Order: sequence, then structure tokens, then C-alpha cells
Amino acid sequence: MSKLVDLITNTWTLAVLCVVLALAAGFVETGTVQMWSFVAINILLAQSINLLTGITGQISLGHAGFFAIGAYASALLMKGAGLPLPVSVVVAAAISAGAGYLLSIPAGRVREFYLAMMSLAFGLIVYELAREWRGLTGGVMGVRGVPSAQIGTLSLFGWVLDSAWYFRILLLSLIGTMIAFRNFVKSHYGRAFYAVHVSEIAAGTLGVSQAATKRAAYALSGGIAGLAGGFYAHLVGYLTPESFGLMRSVEILVMSIVGGLGSLTGQVLGAIVFTYLPQRLQAFSDYQFMAYGLILIFVFTLLPNGLAGLLKTRTRYSKFDQLGGIGKASPAVALTQRHSDKAASHGPLIRVEQVTMEFSGLRALSGVSLDLQPSCITALVGPNGSGKSTLVNVISGLYKPTSGRILFKGKDIGGQPSHRIAAAGITRTFQDPRNVPSFTVRENILMGANRLYVHGPLAAALNTPHAKAEEREMLGRVEALMATAGLTHHAEDIIGDLPYGIQRLAEVARALASDPELLLLDEPAAGLSEHEAERLVQLIRMAADHGVAVLVIDHHMDFLARLVNDVVVFEAGEVIYRGDMDGMRSNQAVIEAYLGKEEVSHA
Amino acid sequence: MDFLIQMIASGLSVGAVYALVGLGLNLTFWTTRVLNFGQGSVLMAGAMITAVLVARGCNVFLAVALSLVVSALILWVIEFVGVRPMLRIRGSMGWVVSTLGAGIFLQGSASWLFGTQAVAFPDVLFKSSDTIELLGAYISVQYIAVFVISVVIVGLMELFLRRSTWGYGVRAVAHDRELAALMGIPVRRVVVGSFLVSGLLAGAAGVLVAQVSGTVDPNFGLHLLILSFVATVVGGMGSAVGSLVGGLTLGVIEKLVGGYVSPAAAEMVAFVLLVAVLTIRPQGLFGKADTVKV
Repeated sequence: MSKLVDLITNTWTLAVLCVVLALAAGFVETGTVQMWSFVAINILLAQSINLLTGITGQISLGHAGFFAIGAYASALLMKGAGLPLPVSVVVAAAISAGAGYLLSIPAGRVREFYLAMMSLAFGLIVYELAREWRGLTGGVMGVRGVPSAQIGTLSLFGWVLDSAWYFRILLLSLIGTMIAFRNFVKSHYGRAFYAVHVSEIAAGTLGVSQAATKRAAYALSGGIAGLAGGFYAHLVGYLTPESFGLMRSVEILVMSIVGGLGSLTGQVLGAIVFTYLPQRLQAFSDYQFMAYGLILIFVFTLLPNGLAGLLKTRTRYSKFDQLGGIGKASPAVALTQRHSDKAASHGPLIRVEQVTMEFSGLRALSGVSLDLQPSCITALVGPNGSGKSTLVNVISGLYKPTSGRILFKGKDIGGQPSHRIAAAGITRTFQDPRNVPSFTVRENILMGANRLYVHGPLAAALNTPHAKAEEREMLGRVEALMATAGLTHHAEDIIGDLPYGIQRLAEVARALASDPELLLLDEPAAGLSEHEAERLVQLIRMAADHGVAVLVIDHHMDFLARLVNDVVVFEAGEVIYRGDMDGMRSNQAVIEAYLGKEEVSHA
Repeated sequence: MDFLIQMIASGLSVGAVYALVGLGLNLTFWTTRVLNFGQGSVLMAGAMITAVLVARGCNVFLAVALSLVVSALILWVIEFVGVRPMLRIRGSMGWVVSTLGAGIFLQGSASWLFGTQAVAFPDVLFKSSDTIELLGAYISVQYIAVFVISVVIVGLMELFLRRSTWGYGVRAVAHDRELAALMGIPVRRVVVGSFLVSGLLAGAAGVLVAQVSGTVDPNFGLHLLILSFVATVVGGMGSAVGSLVGGLTLGVIEKLVGGYVSPAAAEMVAFVLLVAVLTIRPQGLFGKADTVKV
């Protein structure tokens, strides 16, 4: 089975197949070529919904809306304004991308089934507009006489395009889109999209803005569907609203889910199956809607990862394969060496001033003040509920403090969104690991480096030398981190399948991959074996040696004793002690906080 | 003035039905956190079965009773095949897709069995030509009957949920499913019960709305589902009184816009309201804000 998958996803096999199809298009019947064209259009549609729903996790039940916008736009631009095919199709895709961007503004604010309902309504509204806006769309009668390859009315700069040539142009566009899409998905953008899918909160702490990511995903998805729509318009030559109703949206969803959400190969398979099935199987065609209904009901139970899952093909979210490993060129620099001069003239790296955090009257932090210095490892201890995690949440931007200031390198960052704080150089881990379970260890750690990338989306899609060099550099960092963490032999393992301790170590390595200046660790040693804890100590020491300020929340005093320079003790949202470990053990207030007050009265 | 009163009357009438559908959506939402995306097709099934049975000479009341039973059974099956297996999938994607699939399947089955053409709906309550005069305007008695029946059902359900043992069970499961199970509440039975009742409400709403619209076709439910969802969201997910206020408001706005601007604009009302409410106040006007847990 895996040989078969290797064969069908091999670049050369695909290249040969495409050349054969392009040549054969001139010799087979027109009907066959048209079927091929429909397959290509459906692949574009499936990839489009896959980007939005499969990768970014934003369900779409109204994807035919984008398809319709692209189709009508291209048809009207060519028919009305006389634009040539390449221009009309690209402009149509841009218009559809614009619609996606606009939709993302309300849609980005809602999640789960609210979003599903909004997308359903979006599809319905586009359909209604196509029916009712008679002046533009021709209403239920539709747009007739669109220049079309099928009836030989389509020409490009005086050259009449027949079905075969139209298919060749379409195939070329599809290949271009697929290659760019694959490169994009394997870049830090693809990983950011997936991070938003898995956990919006964790994505924020990696420096990924969930709002900006969703806007980009909607616009790109809309653009690809719009491109499919444009090609569809000039294939069939006649548009009616009925081609863009709920059933079309359902059909797109079925292709993508059955193909396998998140997998690029799966989309191709899904599109092929559901283009040919109604053609070849009369029974399927007769009971199409009932069949789609049944498929949607049972697909997640019977085929949770789609055809892609059945063939065990996975889409990888890094350019590791494309680059052929990391090569020898990259010197293994895990972290930037920063000034470890503690008596720096700027004062502390971060200064927490009188921070108070209230949750509807409940005071989790009351007037906490705290300085952290570069290269210094500080433990934060205290009984459960004393506000340790709350402080980390406030610093990392998940909570907006009720009052007080947080000065990071002299600038107040209190209340800024988490992605901005992460981008400034503050990285954190969570009490429960927030990795992407379906990613490999390498991909997870690479996600941490997200904030360091400078190349833009276009460079990522085109795999420019700069983008490749940057990805290679980051992969080198990841390699060095994995070596320190003892994770090298797990690099290609799916993280969700690994033991808990390994997942935690990988999460700390991921945090370090962001090359932070301040590292906040929330109970990193919980659940770790002796051996793993030792690896953790090495990782944290390495960070401190490179000038990173580290704040560690933990309950294991032995673990902390051999690691930290400094201890802060919390009790009921206040700092009750700051100093070294030995002083803490004999401090009366700390003992009372942990063990309670000794009753002295002799009754 | 006459026109205004007529529009308000028909708005209140359909609005009450939205509230009824919204209550059905809410019931299953309370017990399972699942919103049935196939509910629109259940409305259609209820109305379609009544229409077809009456056309074949069946007694009207028997036909209505049968269609209500079938609607309840449909929801029972949806719970069994489309909801229960999906609850172990993280997030809502699984059950959104499976319940939508159930709706599509019902729609496809109806087209196959009865054709895609609209079927005339019989006069179950009064005749469509019966009117009474109110403040100088002639209002169809059917509108009033539909309004009264819907409001009475919503009121009875509210009373039932607050006073009956089963209602306590529903509220306990809604509050905390695991705690309810530990307290000895038969969670499964409460859940299945909520789906059966939700089906009954959907069937009743289908019959009522078809009575006002006069015809029923296989595509008839989807729009109602979205409008009812909007009513529920405007009122706040999880609030029965909110559904009623939301439904009536939406119904009146829709009819007024339809009457004074254009029917096409009325179609847009629901979408604009949905987007506006979800954007400005996602928890609805009566619902409580979900606290985000880190």
C-alpha cells in the first residue's frame, strides 16, 4: 500500500501523468476531456475548502458561495468588459478572495456551530442574490452566452480555444496552484494555520495572530474557489443559480471529507471519486442527495481520516523533505547568545509592578511586584490557587490585568494580545502540553520558531532561495534543540503517539525554538521521569547560559533546588517571600502558607 | 395602517413558529450541546407527511398525529446514528456534518418519494379565507390560530421543564452531564427524551408553518432552520423566553421589511441579524457569556 502511495505522489509519476493527459486531450472524445476539466475544477474546490476547514479548522457549509462569485464575476467580466481569459479568471479569483476577506470579519469572531450556521447562511445569501439581482445575474434565467470552450466561442487573443486546449490551460493552472499551495502549507504559514485549528490560545503564545490568520485563510480559500468558478464559467458557458445552491456546497464538503481533511493528496482522490461516481454509476446519480446525506452521516465514524487516512498518506508541514534534510551547511545554533551581564544599565528584563487580577470580584493576584533578570532562573512556588499560573497568564497576554503595569525592556506590555507579547520575545509553556498531536516532534518544535521567520507568503509559496535558506536555518536550530533535549531519535514520530514526558520535553524545546528573551514554564517537570527531568534541567540551563530569563512554576523542591538562583513564593495572590532556597525553607510565612499555623494555645 | 397591522399579525404568527422551532433546537442543545442542522428537514417531513396523507384521503387529525410520531422517531434515529457516535470527536465538526447529512438525506428521500414539486397543504385549522376584523384590518384566522397554538406550546413546554421531574432532569443534564449521572439521573433517557420531544416540536412547527404558507416542498425547511437559529441566537442559546422574544421580533421585522421594502430584502434580514448579533453579542441578548477557560 505504501508503495502505491509513494508511486502516486511521486513528482516524476505525476509529471509524466500530466504530460500524458495534456497530450491525450487532443486525441480522446470531447466528452472525456470535459470530464477531465471537471475533475480539475473539483480538485481546486476541494483544496479550497481543505485550506479553510481541513487545515485552519474553520468549517464551511457555504463554499458554493465563493464558487458562484468567481463564476459570475469571470463570466460577466468577459462577456461585458471583454477581458481575455487569463485576466477575467484572475480578477474573478481576486473578487472571490475579497469576499472571503469580508466574510472573515464576522466569521472570525465566532466558532464551532455558530460559524457553521454563518457559513450556511453565507452560501444561501449568495444563492439568493444570484436569483434576485436580475440586473446583474439574469435572475433564475441565468447568464447565457458566456464565451465557452465547449461550443467553440472562447478565444484568447484571436486564437480559438477548443476543449483540449482549454483543458491544457486548466491543467497548467491547477499544477501551478497545487505546487504553490503545497509549498505554502509546508511553510511557517501552513503551520500557523494549523496551530489556529488545534488551539487558538496556544497559537497566540507562538506569536500567531488568530484574527490575521483566519482572514488570510478565508481570503486564500475564497480565491482558490473563485479561480475554480472562473474556469467553470468558461467551461460550461451558461450559469444559473441552481448550480450554486446548498447541494453544491454539500458536494464540495463531501469530496473534501471523504478525501481526507488536511491531506493534499486526499483532496485529489476525493475530487476524482465524486466527479466520476455520478457519471459511471447511474444508481448513484439517481439517489445522489440521499447518498451524500448518508456519506455525511457516517463518514466520520467509518472513515475518520478519509481516503488519505486509508492509504496512510500524510501531508507534512515542514520543508524538511523538500530540502532533503537539513544538510551540513547549517551550524547548530540553538539559541542566540545574549548579554548575560546581570548589572545591565537598563535594569531588569521584565518588571511586574503592582499587578492586580480580578475575576468578577475574585482576586487572584493582588498587587504583585516582581523583577526578573537575564540569565537568571527564578522559581515561582506556592500552594494551589495562590495565583502562580494567573501571573504567567497575565504576563503572556492571555489575561488583561485589572490594574498595574508590566514593563518588558522598559515598555508597558500589560494587556497586549498574546501574539504580540510572544513576538516581542516572551514564550511560555502550559500545564498541559499544547502541541499539535498530528505533527511530528520536529514539526512541533519548528512551530516554536514561527516568530523568527521574515519571508512573506509569496516567497513561501514559490520556495524562493531565501525562504529555503530560512527554513533550513530554523530546522538547524530545531536539530540542535532536539539533541540537547534527547529527542533526536523521536524527530519523525507523531507527537500524539509518544509518552507524556516526551511531549512535555518537546513543548519546552518548542518554547526555546522561539529564541525567547523571557521563558515562562508552567510546571514543566510534572509527570517527567528522572531521566527526562535531567534533560529538562539541561535545556533550562542552556537557556539561562544564553542570557534568557527563566521563570519556572513547580512543586518539586528537589528539582528546583538544583536549578534555580532565586525563589518567589506566592500565597493568596501576594508575594510572601523572595530569596534563595535555604532562606525559604526556614521562613515562617512560607511554612505557615504550606503547613498552616501551629495552634499555640493550651486549652 | 391596515397593511401595517396585517404585516405585524403575519409577522407575529411566523415569529411564534420560529420560537417553537428554536425551542426544539434548544432542547437538544441543553442536553447534548448539539444543534441539529437537520431540523429544517424534520419540519419538512412533518408537513409533507400530513399533506400527502390528507391528499390520499386520511383524516386530518390522524394525519397530523402520525406525522408528529414520525418526526419524533426521525430525531430519535438522528440521535442514535448521527449524534451519539460523534460526541467523542473534539469540537463540533463531527455532529455538524452528520446532522446536516441527516437533513440532506431526508430532503433527498422526500424528493425521491414525492417529487420536487410543491404539494398543496390542506386546511387543518379553519379555512385560508376565514378572516376577522381587528382595528379595521382583515386578518386571517389561520394566522391567529398558528400564533396562539405556538405560544401555548412554548408556554406549556416552559412549564413542563420547570415543574416536571423530566424537566428537572433536562436542566440537571444541561447544567452538568457528569454530575447529573452521578446523582442518579438517567442521562441517556433524558437525552433520548429531549430528542423525541424536539422531534414532536419540529413536526408541529412544520404543520403550523405549512398551514400559513399553503404549500410544502422538499427544500422548505432550510430557510426556517436558519431563521429559527437566528431567533434563538438573538434570544440567547439556552433561553426559552429569549427564543420567544427573538422569534417574534424576527418575524415582525422580516414581514415589515418584506412588505415595505421588497421580499428579497426580507431574505437578507435574517442574515444581517445573524451576523450582527453574533458579531456584537455572541451570547445573544438573553444568554450568559461563555467564560473562556485557559
